[in-house]
Amino acid sequence: MGLTLRDHVKRYQPGFREIFGLGIVLLVTSFPGWTPDAEAIPPFARKYKVNCNVCHVRWPRLNAFGEQFLENGYQMPGTRDGGLVGKVRLGDVTLDDVSNYIGFLFDVEPLTHSTMRRDVPGAEDQTELANVNLLRMFTAGTLTEDVGFLMDITSLFGQSSDFELGRAFVSFNNLGGMNWGHLRVGRIDPSAYFSLATDRPQFFPVGPKIGSPFGPFGPSIQRWSTLFGSAAASKFYGIFDRNMAPIFPISPTLYNSTVEAGIDLHGRPFGDWFLYQIGILNGGEERWGDTNNSKDWYVMTRFDYAQSDYFSANLSGFAYFGNHNAKVLSGADVSRSRYGVGARIRYRWLDLYGSYTIDRITDLPNGMAATFDDTATGVTIEAHAIVTDRLLLGTGFNHMDAGGELSQRKSATFLSFQARYYLRSNIALQIRNDVNLRDAEGGTSPARNLRNQVVTNVAFAF
Amino acid sequence: MKRPFRILITSLGFLWALGSSLSVYATTLSEIDVSGGALIYERSCLVCHGIDGHGDGPAAFYNSAYSASRPRDFTVGNYKYRSTPSGELPTDQDIFRVITNGIPGAMPSFGGLPESARWKVVAYLKAFSQDATGKKPETVTLPEPAIPTSSASVAQGRSVYLALDCHSCHGVDGRGRVGLTRAKELIDSRNLPMPPSDLTLAGSFKIGPSARDIVRTLFTGLDGTPMPSYANQLHGQEVDAWHLANYILSLSPSN
Repeated sequence: MGLTLRDHVKRYQPGFREIFGLGIVLLVTSFPGWTPDAEAIPPFARKYKVNCNVCHVRWPRLNAFGEQFLENGYQMPGTRDGGLVGKVRLGDVTLDDVSNYIGFLFDVEPLTHSTMRRDVPGAEDQTELANVNLLRMFTAGTLTEDVGFLMDITSLFGQSSDFELGRAFVSFNNLGGMNWGHLRVGRIDPSAYFSLATDRPQFFPVGPKIGSPFGPFGPSIQRWSTLFGSAAASKFYGIFDRNMAPIFPISPTLYNSTVEAGIDLHGRPFGDWFLYQIGILNGGEERWGDTNNSKDWYVMTRFDYAQSDYFSANLSGFAYFGNHNAKVLSGADVSRSRYGVGARIRYRWLDLYGSYTIDRITDLPNGMAATFDDTATGVTIEAHAIVTDRLLLGTGFNHMDAGGELSQRKSATFLSFQARYYLRSNIALQIRNDVNLRDAEGGTSPARNLRNQVVTNVAFAF
Repeated sequence: MKRPFRILITSLGFLWALGSSLSVYATTLSEIDVSGGALIYERSCLVCHGIDGHGDGPAAFYNSAYSASRPRDFTVGNYKYRSTPSGELPTDQDIFRVITNGIPGAMPSFGGLPESARWKVVAYLKAFSQDATGKKPETVTLPEPAIPTSSASVAQGRSVYLALDCHSCHGVDGRGRVGLTRAKELIDSRNLPMPPSDLTLAGSFKIGPSARDIVRTLFTGLDGTPMPSYANQLHGQEVDAWHLANYILSLSPSN
């Protein structure tokens, strides 16, 4: 189940939590002596006594070493070290050193300014303060040799409700031999090994703004900006989950969901050049349980080249087959499927990656064909440059050729720029600017009414 | 549900069978290949040290582009963390220790590899350098007995610190803060910036945080970096190395 857009957003009302959060950020960043040492950063870095950049291009995106660490179920590449590292021995009892297993992510937007189109009735430029974007507590590590786990509890995009369970899975690693099969069971992020992993956005995601009153298709979006990239997005207008809650066009879903219940197997049985991944998911966008008797399944393959000269590249493709994993307004079940390709090149200071996806809806009720577009596509291309040890600059392009209810659908195209300055490798100050390339096409759609949005952001992990 | 589920189960079964058959093959290969280090290196080390051992692996840039520590270039044979005199190659135990313990901040421990696998990697790393084969490196002899820390020893160490000009790189307060001009002079064997260690941080002592580790570093130096060996300067006054180590450790209270 992906966190739907409704889960992600709320109408902005600065509250105690936001103001308190901003205060914490300002306090921590103002007194460097209070921040952790470079070695004392999130669980894996603490556990293995290394800097963030051992595994990350720059946090949060992974470099080739970090990808291998992730694939191996949070164990050093080529090892089964979970039985040794991060444990405390008390006599004949082996316990986990808990501080090596718990981490926090915090993300706040001190200042956001949105410039709206002048000809849209009621659309006003807005300046917002201290919007808490992300609070996440997670625990991850290895239980014993070749058995890993991860669980996170997250409050995302200023959601007013309480924290909710995000990913939660156990992984059984190196089944049948080193790197041949790693099995994850639980609530997983399927795209973790894809060329463009949804949950590690170098462009920090910015939630849309929800308006009221609720319309026939749920709450209206007053404006949007790119969330996790158009390639990962739902792309369809007028579809609902099994509880008839709307699935918003910019919510990351299907293979690119941030979290979905299921079973996933991946490995590299033929060497480091080839990765396979197959899995079966609920796919029903359900927060808890699984009422969807028709499961979704997927297969992904990835080809890697990574040997020397600070260069690595990969090319991947997936097919995701949905089965009765959504509904339309009449309440009838439909099936959403997705096919996509992705690529990534890293060379010294450059990190270039992108993905293109095609979504199809099948099993539409009779009579809907004339009012419903059953195909949508999305493309995301991003490039980042490590200008200095502390400064990362990036640009991104997102285009969504939306599908769904013809009366509602509006495609969207955004160009983004971002600068990220790392006070330390686990503390980043960021500014992001999104430009709507299609605002001149007019209309009141949230895909068109925003002209430009500047978001500042402070994020840290510890 | 039934059809995709069947496909998934069939796929799992196929991959499992394939994996099992390849496992037998790999075991046989490992027994034939006595060193076996290449396979382990490719899985565990290549991504940072590169396929030819130049320290230019696909992930090496991100941890080392602008600051130390950088993955070693095994082909030139100048290892930083040794117990041998400056300019000499490390002992097998030196390499094994780094693989096992890692380097704080820079390289994780690969103690998760079986001991036999780590020794195979040692053999494989030595093969990268022609000079590294056929030599039997000797470890430096440290002055004995060790001098325990005391206020007098720390004060003596402070005098040695200044006399040996340590402060020109590490600063008078040991924090490693030097001017821009001096910073530009501090480069490693690849002509990349190599800022001096902040001696007030326990994590700065990559080879180990004990007085013995520091004394050893004073005598061996860190080859490939601006940190030289002080064996000649300390000749005849070797015991001063212990005072200096005690002083350096006093700068980092967490030690």
